[in-house]
Amino acid sequence: MESKISGTDIPIIDDIVFEDLMRDPYPVYKRAQAMGPIVRIEAANLLLVTHFDDILEIEHDPETFSSDNPESNVVKLFGPNLMRKDGEAHKRERKAIEPTMRPGTATRCWGPVLEGIVDEVISAFEKKGEADLFDALAAPISGRALAAVVGFDDVSWQTIAAWSQGMMDGAGNYSGDPKLTARALEVSREIEAAVDRNTRRLLEAPDESLLSSMLQAGLTTKEIYGNTKVAVGGGYNEPRDAILSLIYGLLLNPDQKDKVVADPTLWQPAFEEAVRWISPIGMYPRLLTRDVEIGGHTVPKGTQIGLSVAAANHEEPRFEAPQRYNAFRPKAQHLAFGSGSHFCAGTWVARVMVTRIVAPQVFARLKNLRLKDPDLVTIRGWVFRGPTSLPVVWDV
Amino acid sequence: MTTLTFIQPDGSEKSVAATEGRSLMEIAQGAGVAGIVAECGGSAACATCHVVLPQDVFDRLGPPEEHEEDMLDFADAPREPCSRLSCQVNVTSDMDGMTVRVPAA
Repeated sequence: MESKISGTDIPIIDDIVFEDLMRDPYPVYKRAQAMGPIVRIEAANLLLVTHFDDILEIEHDPETFSSDNPESNVVKLFGPNLMRKDGEAHKRERKAIEPTMRPGTATRCWGPVLEGIVDEVISAFEKKGEADLFDALAAPISGRALAAVVGFDDVSWQTIAAWSQGMMDGAGNYSGDPKLTARALEVSREIEAAVDRNTRRLLEAPDESLLSSMLQAGLTTKEIYGNTKVAVGGGYNEPRDAILSLIYGLLLNPDQKDKVVADPTLWQPAFEEAVRWISPIGMYPRLLTRDVEIGGHTVPKGTQIGLSVAAANHEEPRFEAPQRYNAFRPKAQHLAFGSGSHFCAGTWVARVMVTRIVAPQVFARLKNLRLKDPDLVTIRGWVFRGPTSLPVVWDV
Repeated sequence: MTTLTFIQPDGSEKSVAATEGRSLMEIAQGAGVAGIVAECGGSAACATCHVVLPQDVFDRLGPPEEHEEDMLDFADAPREPCSRLSCQVNVTSDMDGMTVRVPAA
């Protein structure tokens, strides 16, 4: 995250290292929240906004807090895309992808496709009685689902996973490691080639995929490239991590699991709680287009700030005992999908996939599913966070 | 200035002076009307600003666009014949005195 740090009177957290954030950022967020609306996190070289209401307010003012940052690694490596645009330019491209992403399409069109994928993936390991659900379940389902929704009929989930990793490494490459830059540019070219191949097919036989929707809406090739890369970068890790966090939260709380499994309407709140608890995207940037006063500090134009939705989703007293998974929390808004015009476009596809298909299938088919050993579960990351290993056992 | 009355999910009423040209969602949010969450800030992506309009206003506006149409089926509160997403309805002078209901989920 590149950032012009200024405003010397802004409180600073400078006694942690980057690895502390990767391991568990929540104690840092709690400290930051107590220090004020904006805090400089030295280890991340970033000004972080951590309060729920402040993030809401910022997201309602895109003219001041812009998503458009031509200097960001993402734009430099992968080209312009709708996530890094504001106003009419953003609206036009967002509208183009709506037919693919809306809830009705998710249910009617993607539901059956996803059911097939989930059935195949679970069938491949359900007789084993033991698995790491990261590798066996969440990664393949998420990668195959993404390929289907994007409209890549010739890309494996392993390729999607490798692309996503290459993109993330490139986007987070603030030290300018030439190897990571080269790999990111290679991924960029590979995705463009996949777009070109599949475009030829989709022009002849249009469908409801993301690629086809963008073609039908008349987006330019450059726009289609950029937005497809965003879909790969932002549509694989997040559902993967949400699936794992939901399963983990329920396995830690068997009483909750029993109630949710017994009443399918509870999958929805159980899922929303999972992404509140461990938000797959914990932080995203905004660029100041003018000098702004935040919490009594003047933050100058041109500064990049980070909005920590992960922190906001653990803010007390808005969320009581926020570090605990509780599917039965009073219903309340969370910020895991962001807010404002950049509200996650994949929200509805993710909801349909996880709450109607993946989670019910997992608990119906893997009998007496339980953690193999709670100490073996690993969770990692702060900008992107989720379980990286979830070893489980079940009865066969 | 146009005056609107919102019936909140608990049945209580809130009267608001509304500026023409702004969306019903923006007016409701500005006045702190309960039940209008509007997570997506007006881009018709979240279905959390569901309202029920009076029949005559609903008819005058013409049918919602396909995307809103789809989204309404997935709002928390069940859809009704005059349901709209308030972010997609702009206030006009002929709405003066209108009562808008925010349905309970």
